[in-house]
Amino acid sequence: MPLWLAVPAVVSLLVIAGYPTVVGIALAFTNSSLARPLRSFAGFDNFVAAAESVAFAGSLLRSAVFAVLATALSVVAGVAAAVALDARGGRFGLLGTVLLLPMVTPPVSVGVAWKLLLAPVGGAFTGLWDALGIAGFNPLGSGVGAFSTLLVMHAWQWTPLVTLLVYAALLGVPAELREAAALDGAGWLRTLRSVVGPQVAPSVLAVAVLELVIAFKVFDLIVVVTSGGPGVSTTVASFEVFRTAFRGSFEVGTAAAETLLLGLVVGVVLAVAGLVTRRVRDADR
Amino acid sequence: MSAPVVRAFGSRAVLAVAAVLALAPVLFLVSLSLRGVDDISNGGWLPTRVRWDNWPAAFDTVPLARMLANSWLIALGATLLTVLVAVPTAYLTARGGRRGQRLYSVLLAAYCAPPVIAVLPLYFLLKSVLGLALVDGLANVPVAVWLLDGFVRRVPRELEEAGWVDGLSVVAGVRRVVLPLVLPGLVAASLVCFFLAYNEFLFAVSFAQSPSAQPLTVGLSLFQGDRTVQFGQQAAASLVAIVPVYLLAVAAQRLLIGGLSQGAVK
Repeated sequence: MPLWLAVPAVVSLLVIAGYPTVVGIALAFTNSSLARPLRSFAGFDNFVAAAESVAFAGSLLRSAVFAVLATALSVVAGVAAAVALDARGGRFGLLGTVLLLPMVTPPVSVGVAWKLLLAPVGGAFTGLWDALGIAGFNPLGSGVGAFSTLLVMHAWQWTPLVTLLVYAALLGVPAELREAAALDGAGWLRTLRSVVGPQVAPSVLAVAVLELVIAFKVFDLIVVVTSGGPGVSTTVASFEVFRTAFRGSFEVGTAAAETLLLGLVVGVVLAVAGLVTRRVRDADR
Repeated sequence: MSAPVVRAFGSRAVLAVAAVLALAPVLFLVSLSLRGVDDISNGGWLPTRVRWDNWPAAFDTVPLARMLANSWLIALGATLLTVLVAVPTAYLTARGGRRGQRLYSVLLAAYCAPPVIAVLPLYFLLKSVLGLALVDGLANVPVAVWLLDGFVRRVPRELEEAGWVDGLSVVAGVRRVVLPLVLPGLVAASLVCFFLAYNEFLFAVSFAQSPSAQPLTVGLSLFQGDRTVQFGQQAAASLVAIVPVYLLAVAAQRLLIGGLSQGAVK
């Protein structure tokens, strides 16, 4: 196998991973500005600044909570839709395509659509709020409300990925297995739980890890819908890093230190998720 | 009622609710884009009188046509680059034994890192717009390899070996034997990468700072008036971004679904 086939991959990895990591570490330990990077050695000053930043310290936890809850929500909804598609039988067809559309919608448009949908004036639910006696209700008005609403928006966009991949896994379950279970007198639900479930569990877990990765990257929605507010209630880490670097004071060194800490948190969460996945897979055997 | 009837009814009910949920926000955008200011503030789902003036107004307020063109240029350029890199790479990860496996793992690990980590360093490297297609294209390589790897694995080795016996080099074998067989997967992967590059926002808002070079996603984020006056225009502008990807997704439905579901979960 000619080794030069690996050249494009290696160059890509250097540009998207190697170079950013090296420069990120260099920026984190030096004083820099956007115009003049790497001015002087700063020791751990940038990490101290990151830890002392109220907005950032909380944002790491918010990112982790967002990723875990968004994943749980999409996996539950997506598995339900996949099982329903499987039970309906027939082709994926037009209905399947409709279910997939949220996934290809530009996240910025998703944000605009939901923001307008929920607007206290001119939104789709103003009549409902009036009827319920909470006229002018704004789900984005409170911290908890805004965070939950963003979770729903994100899950709206990424549930279809779960539906599609779990449905594909369900199709892969050998028909003989289901027939054998039916012959043994197992009902539909029992077959689903005891025969089909274990078969597709590895796929569900793989999709869950993928959803976790995607949810940690959430950025566009935050910018468009809440700008991190009200207060800092929806300021997730990627948004806060971006704001530290480009908006306001251009604290490049602090932002670089923050990205390293964020990378660490994501790494730990994914390592735990990977461990759980492996446990479940091994327990099956 | 017997159990199968309940099940058939239940599954259809779940799917109907899911379909309504999937379409509702975008359909509401359509409704808003066809309504005047008063009609919008009165609330409700449907226009009382359909009017089209939000559409031209949106194109006047921000340079939407220019941004749409930018989005397509960036997404097409990025996708081309992704495919050029991903094809030889997927061949290596699928056929390269242990080394291939390692390359595959490294690529997936690179995909797991939040992209904001790369923004600052790349800002210093690029500071320009031309780089946007480049960055988007390279950033999507792991996704394309992840999708293609499974397709290459399913090409029987014997076919390639027969080609080698007939005097084909490894590279010629990839081009003339493997590539035609993984074409459906390649099309699906290209579509997914096109969508990802077209929808990308973080790199776009960081690097494309001059208005003439901004893609639609950045334009839409700037289109943020909290006044009700703008709702109709905002809705129209969002739809300008959505319509092309929806058309593409519906047109290429079968390829997309096949490619995603066959390649991905192994």
